[in-house]
Formats: sequence, C-alpha cells, structure tokens
Amino acid sequence: MQYLDTGPFGILVTLMMVAFVLINIFRAKGSKGLYIRRIAGLNAIDDAIGRATEMGRPVLMVPGIGGLDAVSVQAINIFAQVTKTAAQFTTPIRLCCADAAVYTVAQEVIRDVYQKEGMSDRYDSTSVQFVSDRQFAFAAGVSGMILRDKAAATFFLGAFFAESLIFAETANAVGAIQVAGSTQTSQTPFFIAACDYVLIGDEFYAASAYLTREPVLVGSLVGQDWGKLAIICMILLGFVTMSAERLQITNEARVDDPDKGTSKIVSVAEATKDQFRERRKRASDTVVHRIFNPIRTEEALDIKREKDPNFVPPATNGAEGNGTEAAGGGA
Amino acid sequence: MNWSKLQNVDRRVLYVILLVATSLGLFLPSRIPNDPEPAAKDLYALLMQLPEDKPVIIQSDWTNSTRGETMGHLEALCRILMSRRIKFVIYATADAQAGQVALNVIRQINEERKKAGLVTYREGVDYIYLGVFPNAEGAGQNMRNDIRKAWGTRQTKVDGQAGRVPVFDTAVLRNMRSVSDASLMVVITASATIDVAVQRLSDKVTMACMSTGVVAPSLLPFYQAGQLKGFAGGLRGAYDMEYMMAHGINYSPTPGQEPKVTAEKFGEIPPVPEGKSFERAARYFGTLHIALTLLILAVVMGNVGMFVAKKKAKGGNN
Amino acid sequence: MIELLAQAPPPPSFWNRPPYSPELYVMVIGTIILGLALFFGLTYAPTRLKRPIVMTFTFLSGLFYVLLWLVPTPLKPKEPGELPLNPVDAAGIWFSDALPRVADVAQILSAFLLGLGIFSLLTIHIRKINRKQTDWGFSIVLLVSMVLMLGFGYADWIMKEFRDPLGLLQDSSNWTFVNQMSDLLFDGILQQMDAAMFSLIAFYILSAAYRAFRVRSVESTVLMASALILMLSLMGGVAYAWGQGIDALVIGTGNEFLNNLKITEVANWLRTNMQAPAIRAIEFGVGLGALAMGIRIWLGLERGGVSA
Repeated sequence: MQYLDTGPFGILVTLMMVAFVLINIFRAKGSKGLYIRRIAGLNAIDDAIGRATEMGRPVLMVPGIGGLDAVSVQAINIFAQVTKTAAQFTTPIRLCCADAAVYTVAQEVIRDVYQKEGMSDRYDSTSVQFVSDRQFAFAAGVSGMILRDKAAATFFLGAFFAESLIFAETANAVGAIQVAGSTQTSQTPFFIAACDYVLIGDEFYAASAYLTREPVLVGSLVGQDWGKLAIICMILLGFVTMSAERLQITNEARVDDPDKGTSKIVSVAEATKDQFRERRKRASDTVVHRIFNPIRTEEALDIKREKDPNFVPPATNGAEGNGTEAAGGGA
Repeated sequence: MNWSKLQNVDRRVLYVILLVATSLGLFLPSRIPNDPEPAAKDLYALLMQLPEDKPVIIQSDWTNSTRGETMGHLEALCRILMSRRIKFVIYATADAQAGQVALNVIRQINEERKKAGLVTYREGVDYIYLGVFPNAEGAGQNMRNDIRKAWGTRQTKVDGQAGRVPVFDTAVLRNMRSVSDASLMVVITASATIDVAVQRLSDKVTMACMSTGVVAPSLLPFYQAGQLKGFAGGLRGAYDMEYMMAHGINYSPTPGQEPKVTAEKFGEIPPVPEGKSFERAARYFGTLHIALTLLILAVVMGNVGMFVAKKKAKGGNN
Repeated sequence: MIELLAQAPPPPSFWNRPPYSPELYVMVIGTIILGLALFFGLTYAPTRLKRPIVMTFTFLSGLFYVLLWLVPTPLKPKEPGELPLNPVDAAGIWFSDALPRVADVAQILSAFLLGLGIFSLLTIHIRKINRKQTDWGFSIVLLVSMVLMLGFGYADWIMKEFRDPLGLLQDSSNWTFVNQMSDLLFDGILQQMDAAMFSLIAFYILSAAYRAFRVRSVESTVLMASALILMLSLMGGVAYAWGQGIDALVIGTGNEFLNNLKITEVANWLRTNMQAPAIRAIEFGVGLGALAMGIRIWLGLERGGVSA
C-alpha cells in the first residue's frame, strides 16, 4: 500500500470493515437464531434435488471458471451442502471443474461429505470431473454432459463469463430446475433471463450461512451488513459535504503535476493565469477529494538514502533471476 | 390463425430465422449513419489529442472467440496510433492465445498500410510486444510497484537487427521510468481483467477501455468515477470509433457543412489523417441491426401470443 | 546509471541470490528438504494434526499479503546500492523484493495441479472406453485429440524455438508437416471452434429473451421496456434517424426539452442513473462478501465445506 498515493483513509475503512466482521463473528458464537431473510433460490435446493431423485436423473454443479479463490471456495462450500442433501436422497451428482486447483479441492470436499454422511460406498470418484481449462471447450463439454445425462437440477454458482448463457439455455432445453448465481454483474442478467432462481450479488456469499445457520457464518453476514450501513453513511456524508463545499468561494486552487506525481496549492490567479482571484470550489478543491488524493509535495518524494559502502554493482548479463512477470495469487 | 401459438414457438425455429436473418446483414450497406455514445466520443478525443512523444500501453485480453467485437477495437486503436505515429507497447494477461491474435492484427494493418504506401510500424522500433503475463493481478501490481522490474526481464526483436534486446533498451520504452510515463493505457478485454487494471493502475496512468458489449455495463461505474477516461463497448463501440475516424468530432470537411458528429465538450477533433477508417465494425454493423430487430420482434411476438392466450382463457372462463 | 540498473540482475537480497552462487544452491537444497518434510509430514501426520498444519500455512501465506498491503511501498532508489532509511523502509523493500518470488509459488502449484486434472480426464475416459459405456466413442475422440494436440504442439514449439536459429519458420512457405498440422489443429480447428461456441450465444440470447421478456407484472414490464430502449439505442441507424426526427421537431416547435427524448439520451439516462448505481451497489455487496470470506478462511474460522 502506498500511503502517499491514497492516504490512510482506504486502509482505515478496510480495517473497520474487518473489525465489523470479526466483532460480529465473536458476538454470534454465543447466540442462536439470528434472522436471515428468505432467499428463494436457496429454498429451492431441496425441491430441485427431490425432483432429480424422483426422475432418477443426476444433479449437475459448476463452480464457475475462475481459479481457486474466495468465489470458487464459496461455490464449493454451497455444493457441499447440495451434495449432503443429494447423498441423503441417494441422487447421483456431477461436479464439473474448469480449473485443476478447484477440481482437486472439490474432489476432497465431496468425498468428505459422503464419508461424513456414512455413505462412502456411494461416492463415485468420477462424479467430480476436470473438463477443460479452456473456456469454450469447458462450455461444450458441460453442455454435452447436461444433454446426455438429462440433468434434472443444475447449480451454476461462481465466477461465470460468456459461457453462462450456454449452460443456462442448454439446461433449460432439457427441462432442468436451475439455481444460478455469479459474482460477475455482467453475467447476472443472462442468468435472470434463463434460470429459475438466481442469487444476485452478495446473496451468493450469504448462501452457506443461510443453508447451515452456523453462528460464525451468520455473524460474518451481520458484519457485512454493518459494513454496508457504514458505506451508505459515508456516501451520504460525502454527498452532503461535497455539495456544501462546492458552494463556497475560494481563492486557492490545487494544481497536480501528473508527470512528477506531485500536487501543490496555489492562488486561483496563479493557477488560471488570468486576473480572476477567486471562484467557486471545484471537485478537486474539496476535502473529500483530498481524502482520496492526498497532496504529495516534491519534498515528500525527495528522500535521501545513504549509500551502502559494501555495494558492488552487479554485472549486466541479461535477464537471469529477475522473473517478476509471474506474480499473482492473492491472500 | 391461432395467435396464441406465438408464445410457444419452438426454439429451433427461432434459431433458423436468426441464422437466415443475420446472413442477410452481409448485404446491408456498411456506412450506416450513427450518433456515437458519449463514452466513445471521449475515447476518440483522448486518442486524437495524445502527445506523440510518449508511448501508449495496450493490454490486449481477447481471443478469436470475441473477434467480432474486440478485433474491431484493436484495429481501430492501432490505426489511430499508427496514423499519429505514436509508439505503443502491447501485452496480454488473460490467455496465452491473446498475444498471438493481437500480433496478427498489427501485422494485418501493417500490410494494409504498406499497400496504401504508408509508413509501417516496426517491431522494437515503433512498437513492442511484451508477451503474456499469466496473472493479471500480479502483472498489475508489479507494474504499479516498479515497471522497470515488472518488464525488465522481457526482450524484444528489433526490426533489422539479429537477436533480441531488453525492452527498455528500445526507442519505445527508453524513457519510461514508471507506468505514469505512458500517455495512456488502453485495456481491450472480453473479461473482468479491466476490473483488476482499474484497481491497480487507474490512479497511476490515464486509462481507457474497449470491451465486449457484455462487459461494457460494468465499465459504467469506472467511467462515471473518472477512473476510465472513455470507453468503447461492443460492436456499437467499435463502429462508433470507425465513424469518428472517418468524420471526426465537430469537424466539417468544407466550411459551412454540418459536422456529422457533434459534442459540446470538445473543440474540433479531426478524422484520422491517413489509412482506413471504416473496416471490420462497419462490415458487421448491419448484421447487428438485423439481429436486434429480430430480438425485438421475437419479444413482441411472445407478448402478443401471451396476450391472446390470456384473452381466450378469460373468454373460456366467462 | 538507472538505465544500467534496469537490465542488470537485481541486487542480491534474501530473495535474489546471485546466479550459480553456492548460496543459491544451499537455498535450493534447503527448499527441497523443507518441501519433502512438509509432504511427508502432511501425509503421515495424525488426522487431528493435519488441520492445524494447513491452518498455519494458510495463515502465514495470507499474512504475507496482509503485511505487504499494510507496509508502505518504498520509493524507488535513485541509484543502486542505497541503504534503507529506517526499519519501515527496509521492510517495504524486503516485501517488494519478495512479492514476485512468493507469487511464483501459486503459479508452480497450479502447474502441478494441472497434471492432476489431466489424470482425472484420462481416468474417466479410459474407464468409459474399457467398459464400453454410453457414448464411449466420444471419449476416443477426446483422447486422440489430446494426444495429437500435445504431440504436434510440442514438436512445433521445439522446432520453432530451438531448431530454427535463422527464423525461417516465420514464413509459412518453409513449414514442415509438423508445423502445418500444429497450425491446422490450433488455428484451423481449436480457434474456430472457440469462435463458433461464442457465437452460439446469439442464438441463446434470442430464445432466452423471447421467453423472459413478457408483460407479466409491473417489474417485468419495466425490465422489458428498458431492454427495448437499450436495444434500439444500440442500432446506430435507428438512433440516428430518431435523433434527426427529434431535431426536426425541436426546430418546428422551438421546445428544446424534446431533445431529452432522443433514444441515445433516454438510453444514457437509464445507463447512468439506473444501471450504473445498481452495479455499484452489487459490487459493494460482493466486495464485502469476499472480504468476510477471506478473513474467515485466513483465520481458520470456518468449520464446514472446504475448511473442514
């Protein structure tokens, strides 16, 4: 984090959100029966699996095409619950993965669910499959599976992109009950148009709390709601202060130098190079703007480090040992 | 005729109609009059006002699957930059194929310019291809931290020389100390890589985007917040760019003539000085009209069928 | 001097040992021993110990990124061989050096896991062929395609990277059978099939919209009306003609308010005042959800599902 770039505001807000979540998790540990509003898509899970059982057809699940991140992990958590119900009904399942890491984790989790339900003998090791890591090869593979197996219920939960509608319409064509949800706002409309039940936005993250009612998960959900309230308050506060401030007259103006990355406050006359000495405040003159774009002076950027007396300049021999391109991951 | 059947037309019938109808689009005129989107006007004005001595960074995250939209975007962008002799550096993050398809576009525009007797862009001299960075998050974070470290290991061919040289030894990147030294970063994408780029880099470098129509709505919050200075979304966005490349903004070819594209916030922005303007998007734009008309007709048809069926049911009940 | 620094190997640090140096070999051997110890430790550890081990590693991995985010990024050195200003500056430099190396771990793990994915594919399809299950012919097609693509793909890569110092293969007229096959499989088949799959979406959008946009309730009517306006605005020709019509009306009536009825204006109003705020609100929710999920996983607060 570069404090000089964004100031401490972003960090403080993030830490506040983290605190909200943690406080509520610990609060909820002792209490039971915290209220969560009804989410139709999640209530439909049992019905969908029941229908699959009656028809003798499998339940198909897809955790999106993203890598192993919070989204995929949450999707697998929900699928663990779906599999638990399916195992109780002895309904066959298919879980199709587009990422090898997600596949590995999903396989462990699903096997674990069957073991915990005391039905290890019913676990089919091929029910969790790695299909392809190429987007449309995966789409073709899963669509084929939906058509051949005539899945009775399909669950598309995770990070979906252009393949979302291919899955949803194919499943619709075989008459499957569909529960879908994507964290990609661009794909949610497709799911809404083609699926029976859709989890919108953070309903996806609320799903495991809703299904298990585990205090830790429900507490974390309450923490998220606190966070949303805080954001609403900040938006309102920003709106009021910014509007009020822009009615004020100022004789100072902020001038940014994008090349150097520095800013300074000068008189309006100097900034505009004309006779005007004062004007209404602009967005860039307001406190709200300054919170997110602190003033960086040339002095602040001009630091003087001492020279290492033992330093020997390295030889210039190309590119070895400096492979910085493959960064990534994420906490 | 039983109108209520209109609400349950078999999907296969719809598919055949779409196939036939979109094929008809090939016969539509390719110069359809247009009123470009405000975000596309911003992007075009930005590109036409870029300084010529600073490079542009292009992150090209699309493959052949979305070429109907994104190939038109990259073509338009390259034509504008080449006509203005602005150097650029291009790389991909989303897919190993993305780099190759982007290079194909550059090669094709070079051939087109060669035929027209225009200056061509030479690798290592006018542009650099950095390759693929497998992880968008990591690439963005490293570019933010230190671009010399992030790209320091990459080497490029230089036209007319044997072997490869480090990219920072070339005329394109010699003066680049940080990502802010680029005049603009354009992300051409068919996925969510733009979110990552905005999060990591939009406060460091002027940023714009060209995306598929599906991704375009998710750019609106970034555009409104000023994190993106302009964007072109989908085939419509690509055609907007080609239309402005041909007609400029607030530009009249002869005095007294009404400009084809107007925008209050800009002065006169001329069309591209050389090379093609109408090309790929113009070829597909007629088809888009037909497909959307069909979509609207299908929706109307379904509703008429439903309305008639409801009326019949009501009549039956009475 | 900065020019020189850019191309030179980075100054030696904990994360960057000089190439071919004894320290580098010691680090490599140490890492292998640690990796093996971890592997066998996790394999043979009693079940009750496995969870704490995994939790510890999850916490340490997450801690790196949390500290990276909290510690200020150091300003770039003006010249090589500068000493850190203070402990915070030193920590910033240490994290900045470490970032690429730590991030490499995720890439290396993914590469190994891809092997497991391929193993899964092979197991399922070879079993299907052996047992002659329904549609086993498709499994043969899949395996043959996989072998051909791998074989020709690698052969083509080796020829172009290592056996073609003069760059003759850049010109397709010099291609051998291997290069032509690789091109046919990759550009001629795979890429085209990718594009075909994507274009299928047009058909699916048509059938989905036909079913979904019905005037059943107030909400669905609003949804349908907005969709129709946006679709019309995407048709440049229609938007232009509509705009011309409104311009004529404005000139005729002198009422400039009518300009707001241009299809592009209405569509833009919908986008900027309805769609964008809704997307922003959903993104806030999704962001908070991801944050809460991340904290629960990092601190090992979850008990079920993946964390079990």
